[in-house]
Amino acid sequence: MSAWTRRLRAFFGIEYALMLTYRAEILLWAIATCLPLIMLGVWTQAAESGDFVHGPAWMARYFIAVFLVRQVTIVWVIHHFEYLVVSGRLSPQLLLPVDPVWRYAVAHLAEQACRIPIVAVMLVGCLLLFPAAWRGDATVGPWVPGWGALVGGALACMAAFTLRFLLQYTFGLFAFWLERVAAVHELVYLLILFLSGMVAPLEVFPAAARDAVLWTPFPWLVWFPAKLMMGEPAPVLRGFVTLGVWIVALAVVNRVVWIRGLKHYSAMGA
Amino acid sequence: MSPGASYDGCVPSIVVDNLSKTYRVADKDPGLRGAVRHLLRRQHREVKAVRGVNLVIEPGEVVGFLGANGAGKTTVMKMLTGLVHPTAGRVEVLGHEPKRRRAALLRQITLVMGNKQQLVWDLPAGDSLRLNAAVYGIPDTEAKRRTDELCEVLGLGRDKELSQPVRKLSLGQRMKCELVAALLHHPKVLFLDEPTLGLDVNAQTAVRDFVGRYNAQHGASVLLTSHYMADITALCKRVVVIHRGQIHFDGPLDDLTTRFAPERQVRVELAEPVGAQGLSAYGVVESVDGRAATLRVPRDSVPAAVNRLLSDHRVVDLTVADAPIDEVVEKLFAHADAQGDTHADTPPDAGLAEPRP
Amino acid sequence: MRRYFKTLGLFWAVSVSAEMAYRTNFLITSLTTLLTLAGALFTIGLLFQNGHTPGGYSWPAALTVLGVYTLLDGLQQSLLAPNRTALTEHVRDGTLDFVLLKPVDAQFWMSMRRFSPWGLTDVAAGLGLLGYAGWRLEISPLGALSGGVAVVLGGVILYAVGFMLATLTVWFVKLYNITIAMAALLEAGRYPIQAYPAVYRTFFTAVLPVAFMTSVPAAALRGEAGAGWLLGLAVVSGGLFAASCAFWRFALRFYTSASS
Repeated sequence: MSAWTRRLRAFFGIEYALMLTYRAEILLWAIATCLPLIMLGVWTQAAESGDFVHGPAWMARYFIAVFLVRQVTIVWVIHHFEYLVVSGRLSPQLLLPVDPVWRYAVAHLAEQACRIPIVAVMLVGCLLLFPAAWRGDATVGPWVPGWGALVGGALACMAAFTLRFLLQYTFGLFAFWLERVAAVHELVYLLILFLSGMVAPLEVFPAAARDAVLWTPFPWLVWFPAKLMMGEPAPVLRGFVTLGVWIVALAVVNRVVWIRGLKHYSAMGA
Repeated sequence: MSPGASYDGCVPSIVVDNLSKTYRVADKDPGLRGAVRHLLRRQHREVKAVRGVNLVIEPGEVVGFLGANGAGKTTVMKMLTGLVHPTAGRVEVLGHEPKRRRAALLRQITLVMGNKQQLVWDLPAGDSLRLNAAVYGIPDTEAKRRTDELCEVLGLGRDKELSQPVRKLSLGQRMKCELVAALLHHPKVLFLDEPTLGLDVNAQTAVRDFVGRYNAQHGASVLLTSHYMADITALCKRVVVIHRGQIHFDGPLDDLTTRFAPERQVRVELAEPVGAQGLSAYGVVESVDGRAATLRVPRDSVPAAVNRLLSDHRVVDLTVADAPIDEVVEKLFAHADAQGDTHADTPPDAGLAEPRP
Repeated sequence: MRRYFKTLGLFWAVSVSAEMAYRTNFLITSLTTLLTLAGALFTIGLLFQNGHTPGGYSWPAALTVLGVYTLLDGLQQSLLAPNRTALTEHVRDGTLDFVLLKPVDAQFWMSMRRFSPWGLTDVAAGLGLLGYAGWRLEISPLGALSGGVAVVLGGVILYAVGFMLATLTVWFVKLYNITIAMAALLEAGRYPIQAYPAVYRTFFTAVLPVAFMTSVPAAALRGEAGAGWLLGLAVVSGGLFAASCAFWRFALRFYTSASS
């Protein structure tokens, strides 16, 4: 076992144990991320009328997929990092021979692992409540995701998580200079919320709005992985290229800001 | 003496009758496996933090409350203030049951904790004082008069310490401001939990003098815990010693010394050095440093030993003192432990019941 | 009573002066309010495409629901959330001791102690929406008045549910996500209750009273709420408020005042 895997395993062990002690918190988190389920209700009900391009079965399936994507791409590093900087608890972490980003990333995975049981229960509940989502109806066939959908969906989710993490962490690094970076990042989150397909599928956007939004990174974070999971045709190449380019660009920016931030932090007397 | 009995017909400030508190604490093995196992099958054990405590404190009395960390001091104090609800037993403070937290009682008591603060960290202490005045319904002019009075005694300036954000004050200044905030409503019962914690000697003395003065002026009862024995000896005529949740001593401070420190310390400075060998004839030699030596002599034989010392050697200086009170208390605990198969059910780390910050 | 008002005045003056140190916050919160409002209007606009009327609501009627939601969201940010955070902090640091020893009702203190001016932009946006919708729907002053009372009752429900959640900190100590969870629950109130499927309607009425927070007060404003709904609103809000008081007193029995 290499030193790296040992390290990451140790991180995971401690973070998982820590997260288990916060299980009440994590339950609240799971509730906090139910927005797709709220929208599931609104849009299936709206689609019943037949006024929209897709029927209720498709809508239910879409929002269940969005719910799953949302659950595996939850990121909270900015709040954690802001707290560490403001409270001065970052300093001891900087003395360790490992970049703390690994610790934060592993903590997210541990938190997701803790959330699995809650998510599973909610997922089963949704599938029971909306059987048309997997059975299909007159307009869509049954939901039988093939290998392509599973692998593609999983990869897209990982890429979306990475991008979300980098985006938040990069914003978080500005805590070295600014107060309340989390509040600033909230603005970015609002764009993700309304433009990623979380509150409404891109299919019901007016054509011009849809085309414009596809040039932003947002729909690729939610709408794209959800479409892949549904086994629906999606712009696969464009999706992964967009995600990849943003990830690389943000990683570079992140490192630059990190190095400068550390200089500034130590100059302030950490 | 039965609880509730009163001296001279006056009503006691505090009556505690057979008070007990049992905490349930979760047992958890370390590590991932421990965490998961704890999640699946929770294991608890009961920790008896306070067991059958009886106590009566009269108006105007200053009582020192001694005990090691986790002995149950803070738990008792929190039950007396109504913050922690007793598992069994009765508490009465100024005729009220504290856990009901009636305003009539709360207006007459106060709690000062050396490790916690009520002043708002980012604002000047003066703002917190104004807030307290409003909370206790003290008219503005009266509040101002009391603030000035308290500040004068403590050496705080209205335009200096009181108008700076609390975070900018030194620990000593901060504690003085805490005291002003805690006493602004002129409480009749003061609960002081380690009020001198971490203060330098000057600030400690100032706080101590201030508490003594307040007690004398207002006839308030004071229950004081402190790790600094100087606080206890300066302020308290009576001490209560709690160990593992039970009271082991309740009486005058002097009795504590005579009972648990039957020896006194004799310090001599001689004209020429005499070895430890030569001095052992007079008592147990604690230390010898050149011409100075410290001996331990049983209380009764002190006069004889001193007489012989004076006649056998040329003595430059000689003092007789009681053993330091911390040592006395330590001895008392050892004594209690030796006695005590009665507390076999309390694990040695019962202090966990009062998690420290 | 006068003492309470005086205390409250001091509380808020102190909080506001502390918050004023972060002046850029005004810019950030204004932008957040505008963006949230734009996003919400966009989303509801999507629902009104192709002649669709969600839950049979007209556009201005849907705006009354969004208006009440935005108003309550502002209330949450200004008053409810800061105090919930303060409660968890007080429990964690053990400084709740000092609050409990004050001769002021501890629940009042813990619910009103802090006030953040930054939710006021949302309150203003909510009032603006309601004003516009009221003008379009030609709501009478009397309707507005009774609607106002209903909105207050909706706010009481939001407060009571949040306060009960925050009271859980006495046992769990770490509960920082309450605010996020509460915001997410309230989120369901952005859309008219009739726009949801039957199961959701039952859930949001009987289990989690979101319908009573936004849809019912909005209906009262439009003068469309039936007597049954208004009675339900009064009962739910009174009951939950009483429950929050009882639960708080119950929890204090278990408060061990962490750290010696």
